[in-house]
Amino acid sequence: MAADTHLEKETDQVQDIWNGGTEPMKASYGKLMMWYFILSDAFTFASFLIMYAALRMSSEVWPDPNAVFNSFPFVHGTKLPLGFVTVMTFILILSSVFVVRAVQEGHRMNKNGVLLWMFWGIVGGAAFLGCQAWEWNHLIHQGLTLTSNPFGYYTTSQVIEGETVDVFQGYVNLAYDHHTGEFALPEDGLGTKGEVIPADASHNQGNWLFGCLFFFITGFHGFHVSTGVLMNIILWIQAARGVYQRRGHYEMVEKIGLYWHFVDLVWVFVFLAFYLL
Amino acid sequence: MAAHNDNAAYEKQKKAVWVATAIMGVVTILEVAIALSWPEGWSRGVLNLLFILMSAVKAIFIVGEFMHLRYEMRAMMISILAPCLFLIWFLIAFMMEGESWLLLRQLWN
Repeated sequence: MAADTHLEKETDQVQDIWNGGTEPMKASYGKLMMWYFILSDAFTFASFLIMYAALRMSSEVWPDPNAVFNSFPFVHGTKLPLGFVTVMTFILILSSVFVVRAVQEGHRMNKNGVLLWMFWGIVGGAAFLGCQAWEWNHLIHQGLTLTSNPFGYYTTSQVIEGETVDVFQGYVNLAYDHHTGEFALPEDGLGTKGEVIPADASHNQGNWLFGCLFFFITGFHGFHVSTGVLMNIILWIQAARGVYQRRGHYEMVEKIGLYWHFVDLVWVFVFLAFYLL
Repeated sequence: MAAHNDNAAYEKQKKAVWVATAIMGVVTILEVAIALSWPEGWSRGVLNLLFILMSAVKAIFIVGEFMHLRYEMRAMMISILAPCLFLIWFLIAFMMEGESWLLLRQLWN
């Protein structure tokens, strides 16, 4: 009899666990769901980047990132390969760190601390978007669009076994004419390695997929940054109005923060795929 | 006493975050420095492997430290990280697919 009541009590406890309100992962429902949303978003981004890998593997020529991303705002005449994108990467990492600080201050119920660090997080996100806008504008100005690619290569005609064929010689950043929309060999006559291009060489555009993938994937990431900045601003206003102070916890900062760090995480892989490899 | 412990934990967390930031900054600078100084003729495969490893270090710090996953329950960590393992095969399979597209196109030409 005593054993029976013991069993009943245990069954009740088991039912309680499944009746909701418990936290088997020791994380609140909202936080857990943000994590699983991020997981699904990670798969979306991974699919894009994997498609990029497959298309790049299927291409015979691909632009060298050091020759593509070598411009810096307000610096003319000097080439700074990967300089600007390094600055962008730092901005995004720092923005992420500022939001971590906001989460920590939230744990201490320090409203002013949250507001201060969230503010810097928002500034970082906006600065990153500004940098991206400049970079896109610069690349479009050079003639990179969804269908054309100035980061091409030059070939020379050679007779091999009685047949005239174009033979790949090296990479070159083509000059883009805004009026005619046509591409030509650069005026200085130099390839991307600084070598002199022979006079009889003919120019070719790079694989058009480069621009297409670049704008699509960095654009999708930029869209995530934009929504992140928007959510951070809403969060800041809510915190300033004392909503979280009254609620008794700053968990919303943690949840939005998770999304913000995820955007930083994606950038690590976009940086790897487009700027390093 | 409790307040004192909280404060000590807070200072420790704060320090951990700034250390992670410094490491990620150094790794990023290293990546760019290596990209620019890699001599012509050295293996491109080794370079790419280095880039992938250094990016993995950054990813681990973001997910573990910034997103705090390192301090969550083991079951939660596994439920989030295990599905990502599928991506490894996803990537390898599609890179092989891409190589095959290239070969097929060369064959047809």
